[in-house]
Amino acid sequence: MTDTAFYLFGAIAIGASLLVIAQRNPVYSVLLLIASFGALSGLYVLLDAPFVAVIQIIVYAGAIMVLFLFVVMLLNAPQEDTEHDVRMHPFRGPGPMRFGAVLALGLAAELGWALTRTPGDSAPFGGTPVSSVSAIGRTLFTEYAFAFEVTSILILVAMVGAVVLARREEPR
Amino acid sequence: MTTLLVAQIVLTLFVFIALLHSAAAMVWVERRLAALLQQRLGPIRVGWQGLLQPFADVIKLMFKEELRPGAADPILFALAPIISATAAFSAFAVVPFGAETTFFGLLDEPMRLQVADVNVAVLVIFAIASMSVYGIVLAGWSSNSKYSLLGGLRSSAQMISYELSYGLALASVLLLGNSLSLTTLVDAQSGTWLGFIPRWFIFIQPLGFLIFMTAGVAETNRAPFDFPEAEQELVAGYHTEYSSMSFAMFFLAEYINMVTVSAVATDLFLGGWHGPFLPESLGWIWFLLKVGALLFFYVWMRWTLPRYRYDQLMAFGWKILLPLSVINLLVTAAGVLYFGA
Repeated sequence: MTDTAFYLFGAIAIGASLLVIAQRNPVYSVLLLIASFGALSGLYVLLDAPFVAVIQIIVYAGAIMVLFLFVVMLLNAPQEDTEHDVRMHPFRGPGPMRFGAVLALGLAAELGWALTRTPGDSAPFGGTPVSSVSAIGRTLFTEYAFAFEVTSILILVAMVGAVVLARREEPR
Repeated sequence: MTTLLVAQIVLTLFVFIALLHSAAAMVWVERRLAALLQQRLGPIRVGWQGLLQPFADVIKLMFKEELRPGAADPILFALAPIISATAAFSAFAVVPFGAETTFFGLLDEPMRLQVADVNVAVLVIFAIASMSVYGIVLAGWSSNSKYSLLGGLRSSAQMISYELSYGLALASVLLLGNSLSLTTLVDAQSGTWLGFIPRWFIFIQPLGFLIFMTAGVAETNRAPFDFPEAEQELVAGYHTEYSSMSFAMFFLAEYINMVTVSAVATDLFLGGWHGPFLPESLGWIWFLLKVGALLFFYVWMRWTLPRYRYDQLMAFGWKILLPLSVINLLVTAAGVLYFGA
């Protein structure tokens, strides 16, 4: 039962993620990404972490992807690029494409290395059960307090940056 | 074990059918109340006092032609009402509506009147509420019509803005009850203060309740926050191009969302199935009464208040409601720390 669910969710997550980049229409890409997030959230439930699963839905599928959809709809681009754009794109040159191939090879090597590692090399996270909300809160605000606060400053900087970039100079 | 499983399936079906009928009943209540508030009679011909009117409406909708604009996106146009209706139904799955019962000795072990007892129920409701926006947004986009698109965009902006206050109002209740499970939160509200004031969270969190209901009305796109379907500006908003049963599904989703918001508010602030005079096993009567009162309020408000302007809605959400809910959360947290819950 659990195994079947795992493979089902895994297949949905991988299939939807692949389709995200295969779609021409950005609205479909956004929707498939949401489906992928939903499958991930199902995997979290199987891992006995309902809190993380629900947060995944609220934050990623519910909040961030709504903004994505909002932007895509406002641009209202039926297709990502025209034929001309695709041909003239700077990444289509031989240099960038070779560099990209090297990066892809590096990623493949890393993935292969990670998959062949014996389970003994990787320690489970912390040791506290991830299912308990209070345990997550306590760990987050004691052991990982620094990383947590730094992340919040990072997000604040990004927000201020976005406001500064988007603001129009007012004529004096 | 088997009896419990059967009971669970029966309960699930019962909740599904009850939700369908609550939507039908709400249509009748809405039309009759609107008529009475406007010194008309409203639907009184079909059945006693017009009670069968919603069923006549549904039959009419079933026999209407299903239209789809030629320029619409066929897949998403069909998917959008399904997303709306599914999200509306599934949110109610984690809402408890009565104390543990054996159904007059029919079952060996008592069982909860709740489809799924999830220990993060409050967050699940919040998550599903945040998913329901997709139905409306996609309906607006896939119709390929300017009125629909504007309705969908308005709706997504409105829901993002009011979700924050909604979540913060929920959080202050979670602090009081020290749990994410709705059942535990309801049980924390049993008993009375000084012998006659029920220990409902609304008496500790009056501001939280007001914020929750305001954000709830905005989340369900009801008047005075019904911008996604503002008739005078947008024809019918996101469902302008929909007809027949796919229109009915949006209609259904709106009414079921109202019922869910009222039920959650009852569980969180009004003590759920706890109340005087009735024994615990009949607590669901209290639950129904409280939900009914909130739904009446919903309809009453719709036919009393005019719609805000869109910039007023945004300014209210971000500049008044959000700061208020942050202050409410901080004060609650300080109070819980000081008095020890």
